[in-house]
Amino acid sequence: MSAENSSLVPSFVVFHVGKRRVALSRDCVAELIASPIVFSFPHTTPLITGVALRRGRIVPVLDLGPGLLGEASPPARFFLVVERRISNSSERCAIPVQGECELVAGIMLSPASQEDFVAGYLDLKEEQIDVLDLEKAIAAGARNEEQAIPAAEALS
Amino acid sequence: MTQPVSSGLMPRDNRRREQIAVFSIAQYSFVISAASIQEIRSTDSLGGTIVELDRPVLRKVRHIVERDSRYYYVVSGCEHFHLPPSRPTTVLILRNAPVAVLVDKIEEMAEMRVLLSLPQSFRGEERTWYRGLTVLDRKVLPVANPLGFLSDAELQRLEEHNPGLLHTAEAGRREREPV
Repeated sequence: MSAENSSLVPSFVVFHVGKRRVALSRDCVAELIASPIVFSFPHTTPLITGVALRRGRIVPVLDLGPGLLGEASPPARFFLVVERRISNSSERCAIPVQGECELVAGIMLSPASQEDFVAGYLDLKEEQIDVLDLEKAIAAGARNEEQAIPAAEALS
Repeated sequence: MTQPVSSGLMPRDNRRREQIAVFSIAQYSFVISAASIQEIRSTDSLGGTIVELDRPVLRKVRHIVERDSRYYYVVSGCEHFHLPPSRPTTVLILRNAPVAVLVDKIEEMAEMRVLLSLPQSFRGEERTWYRGLTVLDRKVLPVANPLGFLSDAELQRLEEHNPGLLHTAEAGRREREPV
């Protein structure tokens, strides 16, 4: 494939959330960083585990685990900094990821998954990797976490 | 007054400073503008008239206290921030709100040089609780909004469900005054 052609093929960042291997479009990924210091304070927004200070800016840390795994993801050594679209503006958030990240080029195929946050899948060496719709994955995680809180309160 | 809220650190030359108090509740530290505090008292030496609310419509408010002819709703800081019960030893009596906040302790008085906006990803009650975030000693801390401890709607509910309570406290204070 020539360089000219390869630039036309969409690229994706493949990473692990817990044991689940998923991908995001390269366009919404800004950088991969080593685990920053995460500062936490009281709040009521689901999925946010704290904030990190990155180049003088506050970056919320969002755990995709509750949406993708049904539970919080394990401790991470690396964080993927992604660009969210919120109310006609954008905001960078950090997502804890496990293991290595991989940049791959490929064509996204129609989703086979029933999960509404899966935008499609990549067929990589006979492995199917779900490509996430980031905002829907965050919304799904928030729903799961909000449902889990009343259940935990009922048991306590 | 600190520079208006911005999303990133302000250029060094443009920074204005704001005197602040750092207080803690449970394991968390918070910042509040010193200008918004009328008085800091120990819970042991609060004095004045303390009246228990007949109908505590809000979990976080169970008493009012009179200080220097003014009345304040006593807000439990740990209930306000949905934190586990703690041991408040200090009361922050606010200046521009009828609120006295129970906190664990004052950690330090300091200067705030930057106020960062709360990221838009935060979409819960914290948008009312905080003016924004600041960086102090390389730590990110939330800056409490003094008007966020009791919203207008919460104040109205308290007053509707406890009519005449402030008059009771006033009468109590008069009884204690020497003739």
